[in-house]
Amino acid sequence: MSFLAFMFIVISLLAFVTAQLILKKAMEFSATKGMRNSYFVSRVAIGVVLMTISFFLTLGLLQRFDLSYLYPFQGLSVIFITMLATVVLKEKINARLTIGALLITAGIVLVSMS
Amino acid sequence: MQNRPSGFGNPWLQLGVSVVCVFGSELLLKRGATEIAAPDDAFSWTGINGLASPLVWWAIVLIIASFLSWLYVLRYIPLSLAYPLSRVVDILVPLGCWIFLGELISTLRWCGIALVVFGLALVAKPIAKMEERL
Repeated sequence: MSFLAFMFIVISLLAFVTAQLILKKAMEFSATKGMRNSYFVSRVAIGVVLMTISFFLTLGLLQRFDLSYLYPFQGLSVIFITMLATVVLKEKINARLTIGALLITAGIVLVSMS
Repeated sequence: MQNRPSGFGNPWLQLGVSVVCVFGSELLLKRGATEIAAPDDAFSWTGINGLASPLVWWAIVLIIASFLSWLYVLRYIPLSLAYPLSRVVDILVPLGCWIFLGELISTLRWCGIALVVFGLALVAKPIAKMEERL
């Protein structure tokens, strides 16, 4: 796999995870402040744009690689969320998360070698 | 989880619907992408040329359906239970690639997929709890 393809996989996943978090924030905000405000609308718009970017990058990648090759890379999203949680929430990572993240990483290395 | 609707509104059934829609959309996207693949054209990295395939549009319909049923599921089932269960799709997709798309999956790739699935099974619950807080 080329460096370019790997970059697109990572950008696609990052866009997807970021969109999820932004949309969640927007929905929580709307629960108290309603939907008719620029904060909510702009966040939802950013979330939708990011998800669209992720979708089309995936469609570009699917033209070049097997689905059984690309799909396991979605496991990386778990690693991005864990990193975000430690940075944003200052969470301590427990043993279960560490072992899981290591297994996912090892799995992805094997898939990318195949 | 009180006052859970029954029939088609049953949240557990909807969780199944959501998983099946994700599974179907992945396979359709791959079929559609293969149909219009233009790997020599740099523009095709954007994936926009994929819109020329009707299969891609069917996949988009399934993605929207899975999203709607997932939102419905979250109204009744806690994320730390629903999310780990939804990861069953990580087993279905490689199996679907093998059965329906005829992809030849090498032993090395099966081993890698298995490690990713074990890792996801381990972290699914703590991740769902984190997402609830994020």
